[in-house]
Amino acid sequence: MTSAGGFIKAIESGSKHLLIKRFTLRYPEKKLKFVGDGYQFDPKKGVGIAGSRGRHILFHDKCTGCQLCAIACEGIAEAIGMVKVDEQWKHNKKSIMPQIDYGKCVFCGLCVDACPFYALYMTNDYELSSFTKEHLIYTPAQLAIKPKYDGDVELQIGVRGADHG
Amino acid sequence: MENEQKIDETISRGLEIVKEAEEDRLMTLSVGPQHPGSGHFRFTIKVDGDYIVYCDPDPGYVHRGEEKMCEYRNFIQNIPHLERPVIHDSTNITYSYSLAVEELANIQVPLRGQYIRALASELNRQVYTLYWLGIYGIFLGHSTMFMWPIGDRELFIDLLEALTGARVTHAFNIPGGVRNDMPEGFEERCLRQVAYFEKRLAEYEDIFYNNPLFRQRTEGVGILTKEDAIKLGVTGSVLRASGIPFDVRKAEPYDVYNEIDFKIQYMKTGDSYARSMVPFLDMKESCQIIRELLDKMPKSGEVRAKLQPNPKGPAGESYKRVESGRGALGYYIVSDGTPKPYRVKLSVGSFRNMLALPFLLIGSKLADMPSIYWSLNYWPVEADR
Amino acid sequence: MATAPRDFRFGNFVGSLIQLIFWILIIVTLVGLPLIFIILFYVPLPPVNGEVLTPYLFFSMMVDPTRTIPIIKFLIHTDFFRVAVFPGFTYAALLAAATIFIERKFLAKMQLRIGPLYAGKIEGILQLIADGLKLISKEIIVPSGADKLIFWAAPVAFVVTAAAVIALIPVAPGWVVADLDVGIIAVFAFLGFFPLIALLFSWASNSKYPFIGGLRALHQMIAFEIPFILSALSVVILAGSLNLTDIAIAQHSYWFIFFLPISAFVFFISSLAELERIPFDLPEAESEIVAGWLTETSGMIYGLIQLGTYVKLYALAALFVILFLGGWAGPQIFPAEIIPGYTGEKIYNAITANAIFWFTIKTLGMIMLILLPRGINPRIRIDILLHTGWYKLIVLAFINIFVALSLVYGGILGPGGLLSV
Repeated sequence: MTSAGGFIKAIESGSKHLLIKRFTLRYPEKKLKFVGDGYQFDPKKGVGIAGSRGRHILFHDKCTGCQLCAIACEGIAEAIGMVKVDEQWKHNKKSIMPQIDYGKCVFCGLCVDACPFYALYMTNDYELSSFTKEHLIYTPAQLAIKPKYDGDVELQIGVRGADHG
Repeated sequence: MENEQKIDETISRGLEIVKEAEEDRLMTLSVGPQHPGSGHFRFTIKVDGDYIVYCDPDPGYVHRGEEKMCEYRNFIQNIPHLERPVIHDSTNITYSYSLAVEELANIQVPLRGQYIRALASELNRQVYTLYWLGIYGIFLGHSTMFMWPIGDRELFIDLLEALTGARVTHAFNIPGGVRNDMPEGFEERCLRQVAYFEKRLAEYEDIFYNNPLFRQRTEGVGILTKEDAIKLGVTGSVLRASGIPFDVRKAEPYDVYNEIDFKIQYMKTGDSYARSMVPFLDMKESCQIIRELLDKMPKSGEVRAKLQPNPKGPAGESYKRVESGRGALGYYIVSDGTPKPYRVKLSVGSFRNMLALPFLLIGSKLADMPSIYWSLNYWPVEADR
Repeated sequence: MATAPRDFRFGNFVGSLIQLIFWILIIVTLVGLPLIFIILFYVPLPPVNGEVLTPYLFFSMMVDPTRTIPIIKFLIHTDFFRVAVFPGFTYAALLAAATIFIERKFLAKMQLRIGPLYAGKIEGILQLIADGLKLISKEIIVPSGADKLIFWAAPVAFVVTAAAVIALIPVAPGWVVADLDVGIIAVFAFLGFFPLIALLFSWASNSKYPFIGGLRALHQMIAFEIPFILSALSVVILAGSLNLTDIAIAQHSYWFIFFLPISAFVFFISSLAELERIPFDLPEAESEIVAGWLTETSGMIYGLIQLGTYVKLYALAALFVILFLGGWAGPQIFPAEIIPGYTGEKIYNAITANAIFWFTIKTLGMIMLILLPRGINPRIRIDILLHTGWYKLIVLAFINIFVALSLVYGGILGPGGLLSV
């Protein structure tokens, strides 16, 4: 009766799992840890640095308003538009900086690849929900803030199975 | 002459069926998009008691004009756009595109970039196959077989997240290589999680593949013989389950696959059980390939060829294909010397496997419909592009 | 964006308190007191210490609680209590509700996840109440062209029939709603209604997928009724009576499962098929026929059918316990008296408490065993199911009847045998 054997093995396998730890990550009490600081791109070497692709961070002291990020995004999601800012920088004669609409952004990171001045990186922050669509458009001032993300849970593989902390 | 006779016979049989349906003997069911067992796809079946006598697949619900939209973007901007048809197998669908563009524009990819590309492709293959396996389990009513693969898929999504930066929408392959190098500590993490995953595969066998109820439902169901498989032009795991050991990675090796030693997994019976077993065996083999790739990878080097911002090549055409989760996925790109392609044709495995669906469903029982339909590895979004 | 709450004003607070007291007084005088008088006039309450029970006597009883014991004892032994509370509908419904929650958590643990988590402070314990409120508040959509009378009546009939099966099950010696001498035959008579209700409801839904589901339900339940009855028949042969209480009493030294394991197995499989549990949930096969005969249910109709299903689950698990696992037999672990030295009237009966305890434990164990195949098996196909039901299980049941007959006539069990009671 091989079918009886098959059933017994299946029951055994299922019951074994009552002793294995649950795999679920209890978000939002626990959040995952990311290695590194976010996706960055080195235009001199022409290669990116591995990191998580979340919200962008714009360094106002490097951005020259060259619009290359907006041009790169035009074919993809049209999420970057250039707006005039009040600040006066020596390297930014036209005083324009990108504003990003996270309702359209697909987080591909090609804008980061396009920037030749080390001004646009991506960070670990992915919790970007808001109540209105207008709040999703991040102005250059909002993009300059470094986010605080304190996730510290990692996938651990132990004797009693893998689980998230 | 014979062909015409056959066509006449088919037409008259079809008319007969329609007449019977109108006389209320057959029942027309629309396994339509509003059905828990169909995905974004519709097929109309006519049922005589418990037997299906007529099947008419109706794709096109998710058609977005991917191929046309490619003509408005340059070669690099096409990457996030072209990974969307099969988003959970995104590395493979952009892999083939990158290979085709590299052939067009004569770009040389550095060796470490090729290895990382192959590694990401194998990891993504695991992700896709686990998703497929999960849905197959729930189609047969086995909710545990849905939860376990989707849970274990997290292991690989975690790795891909560390490697590429995004969980599912990788946008990692690019004409010229990959976008970034591996982060620190990636190799140990990868090896540890792959070793744990192989233990989990043994559990799947216990509870699902050797379960007598599963075997009763899928053995001998929807048999696709070798000759029929070749005539219908199916590809991927469906072809390998009918006894033909064809894998694009072995038949036309691309990148570093001619240096990796692995066996093509195939089964001879051609029924639903074989079609559900072959991806599982592929997963086991993939774990070996991942280990070998990590072993043979050059320890340092460039991962991306340096290109001008808008790469373009001379006018010409190229065709390249890779082995994705569903079969051979090919791109035929025609370029006219500008940074935007003139024509991109995407040839996917799902659309070709769909031909086997009416062929296998007619004559089978209604209860076999989910096990045949999903074992053909059909992903509606990819078939519609 | 929620609106900000208004500032706290003490005057409004006092006003709301006064409003609350006002409404309580009105309801008590206009509704509560007449109700008490009606109860006192029409319901025959027992006299306490030779006095008729009046509200004033009742209030004086609150001072000394032991004086309420005769009233409670009287109320417990009325028919209404037995039907509605214990061992009747409320007990079954509570166990059914607990079963739903346990099922979700148990399956979740087997599938390495959490299950209901957010409703209630502790790991989702109020999930059922949330589900119940959701189902009550949903709109019930009746398909056009549906047979309205049957569409509304069939789910109610489903719950009523399941409750009727509950009425026949003894939980403790003397505690059964309807003590029939033909208990087992009555149980199977009630179980024979279910395929009819499923078919009527699926026909009344006027839709293709319910139609297929209803036919499958009909085939499935009818195919498994015969092995069901045959396996119960072997127990009747050993016990010598059709009365469920007598069958349970006949097992107080040896449980029947040790003598009739094949019969227990056949009964278990048949009850899985009756309950439409995985692996036999073809009538509601989600990926093939949307939701089978439950496709057109929405809102409280779905809630009633789920309630009926889980009440039936409790009924069949309890039936298994009575037929094979010895009913309420178990070592006496309750002390004879809770308060030693108390000589007045008492409602605590050690034997009954012990019986209820063991019966509940065994039923819960049986329910867990019925829930287990859901995490392990896929769905079966209709032709394999019919093959199993009509060929294999009937053969096994007949083998077991011969085993039972040989045990009785070989003089081992039954009246006058070696191991008899």
